[in-house]
Amino acid sequence: MLQVRDLESGYGPMQVLWKPGLEVKAGTVTSLLGPNGAGKSTLLGTVFGSVPPWGGTVVYEGKEITREPTHKKVQLGMALVPEGKHLFPNMTVEENLYMGAYLKRAEAHREESLEQVYELFPRLKERRRQMAGLLSGGEQQMVTVGRSLMTKPKLIMLDEPSQGLAPLLVELMFETIRKMKDDIGLTILLVEQNADASLEAADYVYVMHEGTIKAEGTPDQIKASDDIREAFLGM
Amino acid sequence: MVFEQLTGNLFQGLVLGAVYGMATMGLSLIFGVLKVVNVGHGAFVMVGAFITFWLFSALGVNPIFAIPVAFVIGLGLGLFFYYTVIQRLIKAPELATLLATFSIGVLLQEVVKLIFGSEFRGYNWTVGKIDLGLTVLPVSKLLASLGSVGIAVLLYIWFNRTRAGSAMRSVVEDSEGARVCGVNVGAAYAWSFALGIGLTVTSGVLLTMFIPVGINPYMGGGYTLKAFVIAVLGGLSSPYGAFFGGLVFGLIENGSYTLFALLPGVEPFALTRFLSFLILLIILLIRPTGLLTRK
Repeated sequence: MLQVRDLESGYGPMQVLWKPGLEVKAGTVTSLLGPNGAGKSTLLGTVFGSVPPWGGTVVYEGKEITREPTHKKVQLGMALVPEGKHLFPNMTVEENLYMGAYLKRAEAHREESLEQVYELFPRLKERRRQMAGLLSGGEQQMVTVGRSLMTKPKLIMLDEPSQGLAPLLVELMFETIRKMKDDIGLTILLVEQNADASLEAADYVYVMHEGTIKAEGTPDQIKASDDIREAFLGM
Repeated sequence: MVFEQLTGNLFQGLVLGAVYGMATMGLSLIFGVLKVVNVGHGAFVMVGAFITFWLFSALGVNPIFAIPVAFVIGLGLGLFFYYTVIQRLIKAPELATLLATFSIGVLLQEVVKLIFGSEFRGYNWTVGKIDLGLTVLPVSKLLASLGSVGIAVLLYIWFNRTRAGSAMRSVVEDSEGARVCGVNVGAAYAWSFALGIGLTVTSGVLLTMFIPVGINPYMGGGYTLKAFVIAVLGGLSSPYGAFFGGLVFGLIENGSYTLFALLPGVEPFALTRFLSFLILLIILLIRPTGLLTRK
């Protein structure tokens, strides 16, 4: 579904991505692991287009879309759950979710999408008239995920969805990821610090370090390799 | 006697304040979306004033019909300056956009001076007066005020009921969040700037309906100053805050004018300007985020 090859990008004069490559197969959860500063978020940002690519290619559903603007990518069914939430604080929860269905393609299904989001996160239904800025961190994270689901994606890329959440909410987030794959049929590219839970949820794993892919394999293969775990995952 | 004069003047202040408020909405919109302070604001007001003056004097067009003309010309100017200048500076330090918008203002002044010369112009649109009980008001001023309220209401509806409006609101709140929703953020920037300039040029029409004299290429400075005070009153990034800030400012300006006139040996008009600065300084000291903002 998604093939990334030799991707290069960075900020100003500083190159962050040094030609990593990966593949995300349709209907799977692919995990991208690695220490802080490995370039995981930059990779997602560059695939999505919020960080301009310097080189390399991104192929999505067989089409080269490396330099397409972000709104075109959302139109094609690619969604990003950004790190740091990026909600609209002075809009209500429901207005935030409806903004996710901004594009015509998603707007056509916005009521069923909304039902789906409320089913995943019943808490948001209770809070739907509240200003998003007044929610707790966990609830805000639910809105962020929900808003991206409202875009009617086929591929959803999650950037540290469990960051800063209490253990119970971390569990809920991984449960949600499983439901998104099994019940909704989404393809998922997951960036996480939480290596344990991430290995548990994934069908396939890439390990990133200093802007390149250092290792890949099934979760069992990664877990079995002491070298990889010690060198890159601190496990 | 003084009391009657004061209520009458305060009412006039409210009527004028609506026009001031509308004349600041463009500034606030541009700051809210792009975080760019349009120092050339007054020059765009001046362009609107000249459009009205020229249409009326040369073609006999009713100033009311100058409103849509000014708006469309403003949109065009906004898009032009966005794509030629502002777009390249969005990520640059603030000083760059301050200098750029200042230069755009100077450019507009000099171009208008080349075409119309630098003398003071005025026009005489007689549509009679109306007695409103509290005060007698020229119909032209009333129309300017009602027009301003109408435009503010239209803008509100547009922001809250249309796709483009909600896209713009989302960019104001969080541009990265808007991107995730599939909003074309670049286009939202361009059209917000265009809309802001469109509103500002239009306000030039309404302001000359209020004061149809003193039209000259350098008339904008005073309006830039007032707009800054009003915008800070209303909380810089909200067009509606700006509108209410305008009402408050109109009241202060007219009320203080009446009161200053009671002092012997004082030129009241000069003092109202001093008062504007004083208010700006005091607000910046006690509530730098603006008087009418939440939080």
